[in-house]
Amino acid sequence: MRECKIVSRKFELENSFTLEVSKANGGYKTLEKLKEYSPTDIIQIIKDANLRGKGGGGAPAGAKWELMPQKSDKPSFLAVNCDESEPGTFKDRQIISKDPHLLIEGILITCYAIKAKHAYIYIRGEYYQYQQVLQSAIDEAYEAGLLDACDITIHRGAGAYICGEKSALLESMEGKRGHPRLKPKQKEPEWYFGNPTLVNNVETIATVPFIVENGADAYKAYGTEQSPGTLLFAMSGHIERPGVYEAEFGTSMMEYINHYGGGIKNGKKLKALIPGGVSCGVLNAREVENLTLDYEALRGIGSSLGTGGMIVMDEDTCMVTALKNILEFYHEESCGQCTPCREGTGWVDKLVGKILDKRGSKEDIDKLLGIADTMNGKTICVFAPSVSTVIVSCIERFRDEFEGAL
Amino acid sequence: MSETVEVIVDKRTFNAEKGTLLIDLLIKEKIKVPYFCYHEALGADGNCRMCMVEIEGQKRPQIACDTFIKEGMEVRSTGENIEKVRTDILELELINHPVDCPTCDQAGECSLQDFYMDYGLHNSKISIPEKVKNLKKVDLGSNVMLDQERCVLCARCTRFTDKITDTHELGIIGRGDHARVSTMPGRKLDNPYAMNVVDLCPVGALTSKDFRFHQRVWFLSTVDSICHGCAKGCNIYIDHNKMKYQDDIIYRFRPRRNDDVNGFFICDEGRLSYKALQEDRQEEIVLNSKVIMEDEAIQAFHTLLEKYETNITVVIDANLYTEEIEAILDFSKEIGASVCSPLEIYRDEDFKDDMLKSAQRAANYKTIENLHIDTDIPAKSGLLINFNHPGEFEAEVKIDFRTHQDTKAAFILPIASYVESSGHITNEDGITQLCQKALSKNNPVPTVLEWLEKVRS
Repeated sequence: MRECKIVSRKFELENSFTLEVSKANGGYKTLEKLKEYSPTDIIQIIKDANLRGKGGGGAPAGAKWELMPQKSDKPSFLAVNCDESEPGTFKDRQIISKDPHLLIEGILITCYAIKAKHAYIYIRGEYYQYQQVLQSAIDEAYEAGLLDACDITIHRGAGAYICGEKSALLESMEGKRGHPRLKPKQKEPEWYFGNPTLVNNVETIATVPFIVENGADAYKAYGTEQSPGTLLFAMSGHIERPGVYEAEFGTSMMEYINHYGGGIKNGKKLKALIPGGVSCGVLNAREVENLTLDYEALRGIGSSLGTGGMIVMDEDTCMVTALKNILEFYHEESCGQCTPCREGTGWVDKLVGKILDKRGSKEDIDKLLGIADTMNGKTICVFAPSVSTVIVSCIERFRDEFEGAL
Repeated sequence: MSETVEVIVDKRTFNAEKGTLLIDLLIKEKIKVPYFCYHEALGADGNCRMCMVEIEGQKRPQIACDTFIKEGMEVRSTGENIEKVRTDILELELINHPVDCPTCDQAGECSLQDFYMDYGLHNSKISIPEKVKNLKKVDLGSNVMLDQERCVLCARCTRFTDKITDTHELGIIGRGDHARVSTMPGRKLDNPYAMNVVDLCPVGALTSKDFRFHQRVWFLSTVDSICHGCAKGCNIYIDHNKMKYQDDIIYRFRPRRNDDVNGFFICDEGRLSYKALQEDRQEEIVLNSKVIMEDEAIQAFHTLLEKYETNITVVIDANLYTEEIEAILDFSKEIGASVCSPLEIYRDEDFKDDMLKSAQRAANYKTIENLHIDTDIPAKSGLLINFNHPGEFEAEVKIDFRTHQDTKAAFILPIASYVESSGHITNEDGITQLCQKALSKNNPVPTVLEWLEKVRS
């Protein structure tokens, strides 16, 4: 396995979160280079590198940047999504606590490219201690005069999962309830108080300095053709050494788990795996065997790479309990805007609870699939479809366990 | 620049403006489409997901309230697929609904009931006993009661206080199936248009304290009328009923849509003005505290006319129908009386706002102006014939035509109020509108026109 540290390069250094250590190790070097490029040049480099959004969707970042107006009488904004609420995902907090200056550097380049004078970092409220580290890094940057051209403000969320959805994030930043907005019919930027705004994940922005410094080809040297570069993949669950380890796209999943994670805990066998946060479909051991970690491979088997935060479950795991755990989370976190999600998440949670309590019937399993179908594709955002995916993938692969639990 | 394009809905072709909402077309063409959250005054919110239609070329059903008209668009609003989607979503809407229709005031005019008849009617799949419990009786203020369990969270009420009144009293708190409408702690729903949320609410979550439990809606008869609360001329429905052995009674006013006048709403004061109409109604002819018969009254009327032959003033209420005002003018000419309608008395600057309320609180004052009737306070006269004008004027003798009781008057002739007769009024913007007769009282009293006919013969 090839070592590749693009974002996590300085993570292991002592006091890596300070400006001093950052600068001593090449931090903010790209700011000099910026003078050589025009904003549109930067966007072109990002497009050439085919940088894909690292928050879960994997949409090309460059195309999104291009939607931002280069000439506008309204101010442009950058909103960095650090809500990171997806269960199984804990990569962004590594960046903001171990190398916050990399993020700040990325923000400065991005703001230069999209002509924004103000960037917001929307951070989940629970990340209080990480926010403190990030804030002190921002303060340091202000003192060092790095933020003369661009302000950075941290906005703390109040702990709603849905605020990680970009339009809900902006609603929340505007001081409203974090409800996703209706999707526009044409390609356009997001809007923050009616001003064009770019929303990108922390890791996406933190990847930008490497690409600008070393060029698109250097980034494309890693990964696959369609999913170039690296991702801070993470592992949790029944694993010897859970944690965040950067790897290139296209890495074999089992190899990654065995190499960095030290294999399944206590030498047990793998039973199931959720590839990228609980919103992605559950996979069984057989499917994982020859799987590679890239967007296309996972889409090919009806799941998705998501945030790359893998949840590993060993042979002793009860899949009904696992599903109940996930559904409880969704039941709690549905924002309550659209009917299918608001009422559906509660219903499926209670139904699985009923099956776990041995009060269920075979009809309840089919009913679950029916409700999952109703929840899929009929809501404003992708919350309900995710719930649907989880239910369907879990029951399809482990139906015998559900029937056994009756 | 608006562009008209052709759209096909259920194999029929319609012309519609490009870029407008599909749901508006469906509503306009009376194509059945269920919806809770969409409202023409509040716009699309897209939360109820009921208005699903199939659009050719789109993989999934789309909500009509977030679909914009495009050239050649092909829409299917019926069919097995779409009915199933609507049924499934409605089922979810009902899962935590208390289904307490027998005690719910909205029953009979409830969207949830209507849609259930259209898309429900199946055996319940709901096998979990525990429904989400919420507050059943919250007094929000301004006569509005909230039942959180019946709410479908369409957010029409919160959008009304956000977008229309800009007062922001209502909001949704909690997440998921525990989300519910509420006010801020310690705050009340308090604005002059608050009761419109009751009409906006598609289900029985918001009900009017003034109306609830007084009458089942299916017993009510509805008549189109115009509010007489001020000169705005807001269009209303009068809902009334005459129960067996009882009198015909108005139970409520509701706003009637008229984009040229009031849009969708009316003010609370106008809405509740029906009460005063029914209280202290003048039913008898009274002369010097004695109830007299009609013949006697007409004789007394003529005696007075003869006595004060050239010294008579007629005062007209600027709330009367145009037909009545014109008839009074003709009559005054016949008897050689001077005519006036002092308008200043009606003015109430405190009542005025920049939405619907007008400072001029005489509903038909425009007609007084159009007919060039003197609007000054009359000088003291011999005989003063007052057609229901609220002002007090000096005269040796007075004849008062009154809709409501008046303890000060010596000679009172009862006349029908506007809800007991039909006629036209012209609002402050010069729009002439018809009010239909709503009530047929057990003890009817003559209208102004009828009185004039009686005294002439």
